Amino acid sequence: MLNKLLEMSCKKATFLASKKEENKISFIEGIKLKFHYKICESCKRFDEQTKCIGKNAPHLHQHTNMVLRAEKKQQLKELIELQK
Amino acid sequence: MQIDFMILPDLWVDRYADMLYRYAFVRINDNGIAEDIVQETFLSAWRAKETFKGQTSEKNWLYAICKNKIIDYFRKKAGNISKPALAEEDNYFDEKEHWREEPAPKAWGANYQHKIETKEFFSVFELCKKKLKDTQQIVFVMKYMEDMEADKICEVLNITPSNYWVLIHRSKLHLRSCLEKNWLKI
Repeated sequence: MLNKLLEMSCKKATFLASKKEENKISFIEGIKLKFHYKICESCKRFDEQTKCIGKNAPHLHQHTNMVLRAEKKQQLKELIELQK
Repeated sequence: MQIDFMILPDLWVDRYADMLYRYAFVRINDNGIAEDIVQETFLSAWRAKETFKGQTSEKNWLYAICKNKIIDYFRKKAGNISKPALAEEDNYFDEKEHWREEPAPKAWGANYQHKIETKEFFSVFELCKKKLKDTQQIVFVMKYMEDMEADKICEVLNITPSNYWVLIHRSKLHLRSCLEKNWLKI
């Protein structure tokens, strides 16, 4: 009975996961989501893994050695010089 | 000493060009546009240099200008792409909307959080982000990389909140799945 009441699909649960991050879900949806994570390992993983990706995304540029082309740098220096 | 108020435009390129370029490239995935953004950042900074009063470091000031240029670019770009179709073929879930066995999230193993801070992860992430549709990519960057709120993102991109939530949902499903397939197998 309770199970029926709290039932939620995985599609809905993964959808609500993002809304929850911004506190945009209702009280009932929150309870349903918690219950869903207790019975669904896949959705729990989805939430943990995507949160981890999101948390690291802002720092990704620190993990690359890319550099701006030397010609472009020279061009920018000349451009700045021209503004003077 | 007025060191806090000092900006040194002659050193901008040597000091900050690579840093800004990386920052922009990771968010935009296009060499040419990332170069343009760096250029516009320096030019805007030059024009606004009188307003710099040392409230922040020169570096953070340039970052802030660069961020604004990136958001402006997204605003323009979103105006040029047709509004996303809400319905998209669903390979992740079955007819009852539960995970299909193959695409269901698998365990990523112990310590995967640490493996994310590596060059290997970065290159796969870049590849996977590029595979997203334009608007999915843009909302992902604005939310997770620029830390903007949903309301603000909707306003900038001129999309409805329900549209936005669908785009975020999609981008996370695709990115996660692509990372699982390509990164964990390295």
